[in-house]
Amino acid sequence: MSYAYLFKYIIIGDTGVGKSCLLLQFTDKRFQPVHDLTIGVEFGARMITIDNKPIKLQIWDTAGQESFRSITRSYYRGAAGALLVYDITRRETFNHLASWLEDARQHANANMTIMLIGNKSDLAHRRAVSTEEGEQFAKEHGLIFMEASAKTAQNVEEAFIKTAATIYKKIQDGVFDVSNESYGIKVGYGGIPGSSGGRDGASAQAGGCCS
Amino acid sequence: MQEPELHDLSDDADYAASLQQGSASTMITRSDSGRSTSSSVPEGAEIVYSKDNVTIHPSQYASERISGRLKLIKQGSSLFMTWIPLKGQSTNARLSERDRNLYTIRAVSFTDVRSIRRRTPTFGWQYIIVVLSSGLAFPQLYFYNGGVKEFLATIKQHIFIVRSLEDANVFLVNDFQNPLQKTLSSLELPVYIASGPSASVSDGGESSSYELQERIGGSIHDEIHRPSQNPGRQKHKSHDPARDLTIHKGKVLAQTPPDVPHKPSMDAEIVLEPVPSDPLEHSYVGNMIMNIFPDVVQRETQQHISRYKLTEPPLGSEEWATFLDSEGRVMDAKAFKTRIFYGGVEHTIRREVWPFLLGYHAYDSTYAEREYLKSTKKSAYETVRQQWQSISTEQAKRFTKFRERKGLIDKDVVRTDRALPFYDGDDNPNVNILRDILLTYSFYNFDLGYCQGMSDLLSPILFVMEDESESFWCFVALMERLGPNFNRDQNGMHSQLFALSKLVELLDSPLHNYFKQNDCLNYFFCFRWVLIQFKREFEYKKTMRLWEVLWTHYLSEHLHLYVCVAILKRYRNKIIGEHMDFDTLLKFTNELSGHIDLDAILRDAEALCICAGENGAARIPPGTPPSLPIESENALLYAQDDEVL
Repeated sequence: MSYAYLFKYIIIGDTGVGKSCLLLQFTDKRFQPVHDLTIGVEFGARMITIDNKPIKLQIWDTAGQESFRSITRSYYRGAAGALLVYDITRRETFNHLASWLEDARQHANANMTIMLIGNKSDLAHRRAVSTEEGEQFAKEHGLIFMEASAKTAQNVEEAFIKTAATIYKKIQDGVFDVSNESYGIKVGYGGIPGSSGGRDGASAQAGGCCS
Repeated sequence: MQEPELHDLSDDADYAASLQQGSASTMITRSDSGRSTSSSVPEGAEIVYSKDNVTIHPSQYASERISGRLKLIKQGSSLFMTWIPLKGQSTNARLSERDRNLYTIRAVSFTDVRSIRRRTPTFGWQYIIVVLSSGLAFPQLYFYNGGVKEFLATIKQHIFIVRSLEDANVFLVNDFQNPLQKTLSSLELPVYIASGPSASVSDGGESSSYELQERIGGSIHDEIHRPSQNPGRQKHKSHDPARDLTIHKGKVLAQTPPDVPHKPSMDAEIVLEPVPSDPLEHSYVGNMIMNIFPDVVQRETQQHISRYKLTEPPLGSEEWATFLDSEGRVMDAKAFKTRIFYGGVEHTIRREVWPFLLGYHAYDSTYAEREYLKSTKKSAYETVRQQWQSISTEQAKRFTKFRERKGLIDKDVVRTDRALPFYDGDDNPNVNILRDILLTYSFYNFDLGYCQGMSDLLSPILFVMEDESESFWCFVALMERLGPNFNRDQNGMHSQLFALSKLVELLDSPLHNYFKQNDCLNYFFCFRWVLIQFKREFEYKKTMRLWEVLWTHYLSEHLHLYVCVAILKRYRNKIIGEHMDFDTLLKFTNELSGHIDLDAILRDAEALCICAGENGAARIPPGTPPSLPIESENALLYAQDDEVL
């Protein structure tokens, strides 16, 4: 499958905030409440289109438990984007954001784009973290922010694509040396603008699980 | 060529003296064909060990025995062994000269010896079995006057021998003809192991032989190939498979090794003996089968091993009963574990068998003791469970640690094997039991607490045991060994991954170098495999089978690491050929899930483990899980203090 660029994403955040569900919703467009907890890391991938260019997202879905942090840190290497997820119904998952961010800053490329996601927005009645708090945290730390729901798919697509668009813009702005793969970006062979269209499901609308 | 030994031996003052002592009037006569000329003590040779009354029992009748002298002769850097019968000491006239000659061991160089087995029967004399690298074995040599220890000690002084990892009574010398050696080379091991001199290689063929022997008379015929390497044996009648079976049902093949010229007339001699009752004795017989046919190509050899070893049907209830005495004790734990190692267990009896493998039940416990244990352990479990069950909502508000643990466990049990009917559906009681056990364990072992991955380890145990308290105690037993996997600092995991890197370095140095060059030496791509014992790599049924094999600790406590090596080796060409970097490799190993052939991998892992032998064991630092931690001096001191108090 041809792509203009391949971006490596990593999804991080406390256990049980819905990282795997966000991934599944994005790659498979479905919500699966019953799935096995993540041990180590799981992978997902999908083609999207930005600026008429097919871009492949390779997404690393990590285990959230504290004990596995030392392992998770090795996954940051070469990530272009990170989705830092908390659960709006569990305050402690929001409280832990700072330590996740510290890990990311320490072990990832300094130019990694980080999207903060307050997940489970469908459970507004059990909300423990206000939208404003999320926005505030993002602002303070220079992150993009969105509330989303892996269950209803609200903002899921947007979160992944907005992150990609930000990375893409950084490429256009010359922030990255794309020939250096440590930035988490690989240049593909299908990078002729507009040539890849819907083939291979290579558009944001017709995405599917691919690898 | 006529009787050079006679002459040479007469030059041996020591030998002559013994003959006089034994009032032997006649020297050994031999059949009259060409043979090795090295059976005497050559010029410049030195006798470094000599023992009289080392005796062969050609039949089950103790009266029919041939007494002789065992000697070790050193010449230059080579060591030879001879055993010469003393006619005057034979007890039965029925034993002809020819019989005696048949058994004579003429200067066998230790470069042709693969191993020496030492056996100490409860009744009777200590004896040894010398197995040649060709796979043939000399008959048992009984030390009527003792001296086995000195014999082995003397050998050790002159050549490099090592104890077998599997059997402390097996001493390994050379192993060049070992089919597992070939398996090893088929696994593309570095040259220095595959063909390096002595010691580094353990005695693989022997380990396979018991199982192999069990299959004698079965479908083994079509698996036997004709040899080409051994001209002496090629003409041998016994290449008829049916004939081979006769040989193996009988015993005693006193043969010279293939590269030593020997008498054709002796070659054709097969002295039948009743099958010994000690299964360990069978093993060297079985061993021969594999080694008689050294021309089998590497892959085929490996397949042979697999057919011999890993197609055993699982242990069923009837056979299981035969392992127990009338009161329910497992009579031969080693045989029991060996059996499970090669065949697994039928699901219906897993509930009975797993507690033994896990160490929850002692092998020498009786039915009654286990019943009693079950009831006492049940109340012990309930006491611990009560500790968290009695925490009120009010108390929980001020007990963050408890809330956190409970929250985590609540979240994880509903994400554990829910696709399985046993755990699926809403309000499944088994999911609740899973939660209760994990929470209780986090109180039982409060320091370790709960960590993700534990539910994966508990799930099959509960599925098998179907009893809350029994599952809990089996899990406790498992965590005795695997608990360090879940240490907060991950040191248990790191030590295993480190040991794994050392094993790969030993068993596949090009792959090791590749990992090194590509910054992959942390082996995090094997993290999940090790953390939960491949639970996510195989379907549920296969996982259970793999676990019971691992839990036997039959070849090694660390067989799981050899399983990792085996998997990596299977794909090494792909890994290296496609220049996989860390990310690609991690993704690749992750995606192997569900695509690994368990039997093939176990077969490889077994071969790797055997071939790595002591070298492999030495690469694994002491205390690496699942080995029990080494008790520190302090811990011992405390223990002693406790006793004093």
